Formats: sequence, C-alpha cells, structure tokens
Amino acid sequence: MMHVSYNAPTELKRLQQRALPLGAVLFAILVVGFFLDRGQFFRSYLFAFSFWAGISVGSLALLMLQHLTGGGWGFVIRRVLEAATRTLPLMLLLFLPIIAGAHWLYPWTHAEEIAKSPALVEKARLYLNLQFFVVRAAIYFAIWLALAFFLNRWSILQDRTADPSFSKRMRVLSGPGFVLFVFTVTFASIDWFMSLDPEWSSTIYGFIFVASWALSALAFVIAALALLTKYDPLKTVVAPLHFHDLGKLLLALVMLWSYFAFSQFLIIWSGNLPEEIRWYLPRIKGAWGAIALAVVVLHFAFPFLFLLSRSLKRNPHKLVLVAGLILVMRLLDLLWMITPNFTGEHFHISWMEIVAPLGMGGLWLAFFGWQLSKRPLVAINDPQFESVLEQGHSHEAHSVV
Amino acid sequence: MADEPHNLGPLHHSTAPVVAPGLTFASVTDKISSIVLKRKTPLWWFLGFALSFILFQLLLLTITKLVFEGIGLWGVNVPVAWGMDILNFVWWIGIGHAGTLISAILLLLRQKWRTSINRFAEAMTLFAVAQAGMYPIMHLGRPWLAYWLFPYPNTMGIWPQFRSPLMWDVFAVSTYATVSAMFWFVGLIPDFATLRDRARSKPFQLLYGLLAMGWRGSARHWHRYEMAYLLLAGLATPLVLSVHTIVSFDFAVGIIPGWHATIFPPYFVAGAIYAGFAMVLLLTIPLRKLYGLESFITMRHMHNMAKVMLATGLIVGYGYVMEAFFGWYSGNHYERFMIWNRMHGPYSGYYWALILCNIITPQFLWIKKLRSNLLVLWLLSLVVSIGMWLERFVIVVTSLHRDFLPSSWGMYQPSTWDWTMFIGTIGFFFTLLFLFIRFLPMISIFEMRTILPDAEVEE
Repeated sequence: MMHVSYNAPTELKRLQQRALPLGAVLFAILVVGFFLDRGQFFRSYLFAFSFWAGISVGSLALLMLQHLTGGGWGFVIRRVLEAATRTLPLMLLLFLPIIAGAHWLYPWTHAEEIAKSPALVEKARLYLNLQFFVVRAAIYFAIWLALAFFLNRWSILQDRTADPSFSKRMRVLSGPGFVLFVFTVTFASIDWFMSLDPEWSSTIYGFIFVASWALSALAFVIAALALLTKYDPLKTVVAPLHFHDLGKLLLALVMLWSYFAFSQFLIIWSGNLPEEIRWYLPRIKGAWGAIALAVVVLHFAFPFLFLLSRSLKRNPHKLVLVAGLILVMRLLDLLWMITPNFTGEHFHISWMEIVAPLGMGGLWLAFFGWQLSKRPLVAINDPQFESVLEQGHSHEAHSVV
Repeated sequence: MADEPHNLGPLHHSTAPVVAPGLTFASVTDKISSIVLKRKTPLWWFLGFALSFILFQLLLLTITKLVFEGIGLWGVNVPVAWGMDILNFVWWIGIGHAGTLISAILLLLRQKWRTSINRFAEAMTLFAVAQAGMYPIMHLGRPWLAYWLFPYPNTMGIWPQFRSPLMWDVFAVSTYATVSAMFWFVGLIPDFATLRDRARSKPFQLLYGLLAMGWRGSARHWHRYEMAYLLLAGLATPLVLSVHTIVSFDFAVGIIPGWHATIFPPYFVAGAIYAGFAMVLLLTIPLRKLYGLESFITMRHMHNMAKVMLATGLIVGYGYVMEAFFGWYSGNHYERFMIWNRMHGPYSGYYWALILCNIITPQFLWIKKLRSNLLVLWLLSLVVSIGMWLERFVIVVTSLHRDFLPSSWGMYQPSTWDWTMFIGTIGFFFTLLFLFIRFLPMISIFEMRTILPDAEVEE
C-alpha cells in the first residue's frame, strides 16, 4: 500500500476552536444559575449529565460490541468510539457537582422524607444513603475507566507494533467487559435517575438506559462519521456499505429502546397499581403528555419508517439527519423522565435546562475533538484493515449513492 | 439485501470453516439425499422411533382420559390453577424460538453458518409449537369449543376480551405456527424437487413430486423463490420477539408478585432463545455423529451456538438479579415475601436448582476448551434445558401458591397425569423428529451448495 497519512483532518481543530469557547461561556452562564436557583441548577445539570454521560458510556458499549462481533462497520467507527470513551475522565469530573448537589436532587437525603415510610427507612439505611451512593459511583467509574483505558491502550500499541495479538486481547476483554457494562449502567441508572423518586421502581429501567445510552452513542457516532468522511483520510476508507450497516444497527437500537419503553408502560398500565402508575400519571398529562406523544412519534415511528429505506441508510447526508433527530429526541426523552420528578404534572422548563446540555456539550465536544485528533483515524495495523478497504471499494464500484 | 454477499458480519472471528473442504455440488447432494433415499435405515432409528412412539401413546391416553373426565385429572387447583400445563406450554414454545432465530434473523444478518442447521432447527420449531399448542387447548376443558377463542360473529353474544394477553396469545401462537410452517415448506420445495428427481420408487417419486409443486429450477422460479423466502424471513423475524413477549405478558400484566415485573418481556425472549439453542445442540450433537455429518455441521456451528447460548443465558441471569434486587428495593411487603419465599420457602430447592442449572453451570461456556468438547457441550445443553423448565416451574408455582392472603395459600403437586402428558409430548416431539430425519432432507441441499467454494462467482 502507498504511504498514506491517516491523521485526523485539520478541520477538526475548527470544531475544537468553536466548541470550547461556546461551551465555556454557556457553562459560565449556567454557573450564574447556581446562585439564582440552586434546586433548578442541579436538576438541569443532572439532565445535561444524563445525556452526555450516555454518549461517553454508550460509546464504550459500542466499542466492546464491535470488538466482539467484528465487521467493517465497527472498524470504521472504532477511533471515534475510542475518542468518545476517553471523555470519561471529564465525565467523572462533571459528576462531582451531582454529589455536592445530592441534597437538592434526591429526597432520600432528607431524614424527614425517609421517616414518612418504614420501607424507605430500611432502604435508606442499606442502599440509598450518600456514603454508599458515592462508593457505588466510584465503582462504576472505576470499571468504565479501566475498560476504556485498556481498550485504548492496546489499540494504540497495535498501531505502533503491528502485533495482531492485541486484537485478541481486546476481544477477550470485551466479553466480560460488556457484562460489567450492563450491570454498572443498570445500577447507575437506578442510583442517579430512578432514585429521584425513591418509592418507585421498575425492573426494566436498567435495560431502558442500557439501550438508550447505546442508541445516543450510535447516533452521535454516525453524525461524527458523516462529517469526517467529507475529508481525508476517511473519505477513501468509509463506503456506503458501512453507513448501511450502521443504519441497520441504528434501526435495531431504536426498536430495542421502543420495545423496552413500551413493555414498561404496558405492564404498569395493565397492573394499574397506585405505587407504580404514580410515575406515569404526571408524565402523560398536559404538556408532559404532549412530549410523551412526541417521543412516540419522533423517537420511534419516524426514525423507524425512515430507517427502513435502504437508500437512506446508504446516504450519509440523509442518515445524519435521522441521527440528529434521534439525538434531539434522546434529550427530550431524558427531560421527560427526569424533570416531572420535581415539577409533577405542572409543566415548567427553565432556561437552565437549555443552557446546561449545550454548555456541557460544548466542553464535551471540545474534549472529544482534542482526543480524536491525537491518533490516526484508522487503526492502521489492525488485521481487518485491508479487507475492510477492499470490501468498501468493491461495493462502491457498483452502488448507487 | 440478497445482492450483497459479504462475509464480515458478526461472529466472523471463528476461524473454523463453515463447511469442510473438498465438498462439491454433487457430493453434497449425494450425501444429504442418500440419508432419505438410499442408505439403509439404521437400527438406532427404529429403536428411537419405537420408543418415542410408545411414549406418544401416553399422550393420547392422557388426552382421552382428560376429555372424558375433565381437567381435574391434573394437579391444578386454587390457588395454583395454572400448573404444569402453562409451564410446559411456555417450555415448548420457548424451544421453538431458536429455530426461527436461526432461519429468519440469521438469514437477514447474512450469516452463512446458519445454512446447515436451519432446516433442522425449523423442523424442531414446528414440532415444539405443536406440543405447546396442545396445552392451552386441552386446558379449555372442552377443547372442541376452542374456536370460541376467535372473534367471530355469533348469536351467543360471546366476544373475546381483547385486553387480555391470553387473547393475544391465540393470535400470536397461531400466526407463529402458520408462518413457521410456510417458511419451512417454502424452504423445502427445491429439495423436494431434488428428491423427486432422484427417487427410484414410484410412490416416493409421486410423493416428492406432489410436494415439489412443479418445481423445475428455472431462473424465473429461483428469482421468485428468493424473493418469497426473504419476505417470509422478514415476516418471521418479529415473531421471534412477539410470541414470547406476549407469553410473558400472560404473567406480567397480572398483579401477582413474582409475575408483575416489567423486565419480563426481554427476559422471557432471552430465556426462550437460550432453551431453544440448548435443544438444537442437544439434538444436533448426536445426529451429526450418527449420520456422519461432521463436514456439514462443523465445529464453527457448535462454537457459535454455544456463544448464543452463553449470551442469552447471561440475559436470563440478569433477569434473576433484577427480580431479586427489586424484590427488596421496591419496599413492597408482598414483593419481598415473594423473593424470600422463593429462596427459603417450600419450593426453595427448585429455585436453587434453577440458579445452578441456568446461571452457574453455563459459565463454563466462557472457556473455549470446554466449548470445543462436544460431550461437555451436550451435557451443558441438557442442564440448561432442565434449568429452563425449572425456571417456569418457579415462576408459575411459587408466585401462585402463596400470594396476598395467607388463608388462601396452598401447595401444588403435579399428578401422575401431568407427568404422562408431559412425557407424552416429548414422545410426540421425537416421533415427529424421527419421521422428519428419515423422510426429508434434514440439511438444505440447495442452500449448502450455495456456500461451497465452487459457488463463488467472480463479479
């Protein structure tokens, strides 16, 4: 093969240069909110965190998935996924304010709230207390950071040494790693989001977060890949075939998320038990109800119908629009899940709920762009590389884009 | 999708080949069709068939007695009014799911390794669904009125309750049986034609000729055939999820602790695939040995099936962890009691046996060496099959026998007739299976030919 540089395009710098100041300014404005309304600040902050942490952690899941299954689609997004997992230290830093704000977020931090119900007393003693909450969060982050560290390290070592045994190592780690991912995300979602209402529970809640975090990560990666393929080096590597496969995976995850979310709704609706429907009641009335309907239509029905089309999946310009729609709907769905815990059926959105995800997103994107630019965009010494290139080209020759 | 042969799909890592080297179009056709047409029927076939057929008689006997005497014959009574019949219904229908997954989903995912096991797995699906379907119909008490389950205009003023998942079951299972049968039959047509052309006795020529429906293998036939097969695969795919999801709703929409859990749909689907792959392995490991089919059903198949079994087993394990954790976390008195009762109550032996069979033992599948040992794999599959039966026993019985009011608690003891019915369905299942391997090609001849190296076309 000719000598080709697979370094990230210089255009990536522009993304960093724009995202960083924008994120910093918005984040600074958000901090003003901290002094105006502390409760609102922490709610909006948790909401923003639930979205961006989802992309970091979800990318870790996709990274392990592609190591386990192999395939061209996984190869072309690997470096993007790796960069996204390297934002996990940033997410750890951004998690600290949630511990500091636990008092404004979680009713179980208030002794008088706990005393209302005997069941809560025991629950708070054994599980929902701040010390254990912090210990558990430390465990989740330790697992995620360790998995991300090894997968990133072995990948760059393979770039340098061309040793194919690293592929096997990454695959072997990814099996148990994926199991750990599912369990840590489950318990993180219980701790961070479900316990906002400490008396409510649902056994599929963890799966809903597993699917939705993986979905938002995939939508993000598709968007990033669509932008990167405009420039060298990915221009010559990524083929419509890869977008086709990624689009299929996106469709599968959209359906999986919908399946989980609908199962939860139908079972709780049928049982009609007061302690269970209390979670849905404020969320299906008034403006929250309208959002719920929008989620059904725009998070499931539209993406589902669009993604059935073969030509749409093969066209990055169109696929990126669907991915964008899914990302916006992920935000809306998280807002719908988190905010009514505080507002009840009264619909209220603060300016902070708009500034927080944007500000945090600016910082996240700048960090991501910085990480992405540090390594070649293709795992050059991966044994799969040649066959992926060949495969892409042989299909490009007779495919209608 | 069909126009895209490429080989970097999931599970490509296994370096073992899909088919053994050295096979040609002719040798594939000879080898598979000779089992049906030429080879002498082996003695073990007669023995196996006879034994299955005898057990099958137990089923007929039980059903006859059941129709005359009513379902009091079984051990079901309040509070456990759903005993072995729903448990065996769920067990059998779960087994069927592996066949549909292999034939439909793996086809859409372009997994070539499915080719040598799909025909067999689909047959297993059909036969398992047949066993499953018998239970709810017999539980009606008056099975000759089963058509009342369907919404049809009548003068009696009866109409099904559409909010009940039992009603959805009627549609889900009957659709499942229909689509599976069609998929299987359509897949068989080109092979029927091969058998028709190769059969030497008149009755067989006539039989296979009728079944081949005038297949001549023209380009137009093939074109339409491929399209129909792909469409049927698309239709069958959602059924893998929908059938067991609705089966899980049978339990989950009620408010009985131990049944009313939102995790049930994915957990049941995974459990079904888990049990199904265990059954496929349980049957293919001896069959491939007995008929010398090692060059078709290679170690690659064994590895991949073992991996699917491990993955779905882990999801099932996740379900148990969630049930136990949320039993406590919910803070609900009855939920906590339900979990305590499962672990320490009168049926705790079943619970711990199930944890051992379904969660602990299958962890051996992580180790490649053990996955490659067919005896170990076969024993593990047997353990999983038993474990999945125990799982349904625990869900059905422990949840019902002690619900909200201690005064209405009770114990459940399956009667002898419960067991004869269950053993009878196993006999019926194997009777059908033995007939299948004797009279139909258990591996798809024409699809095997397409994955041979000879079939590769330079574009």
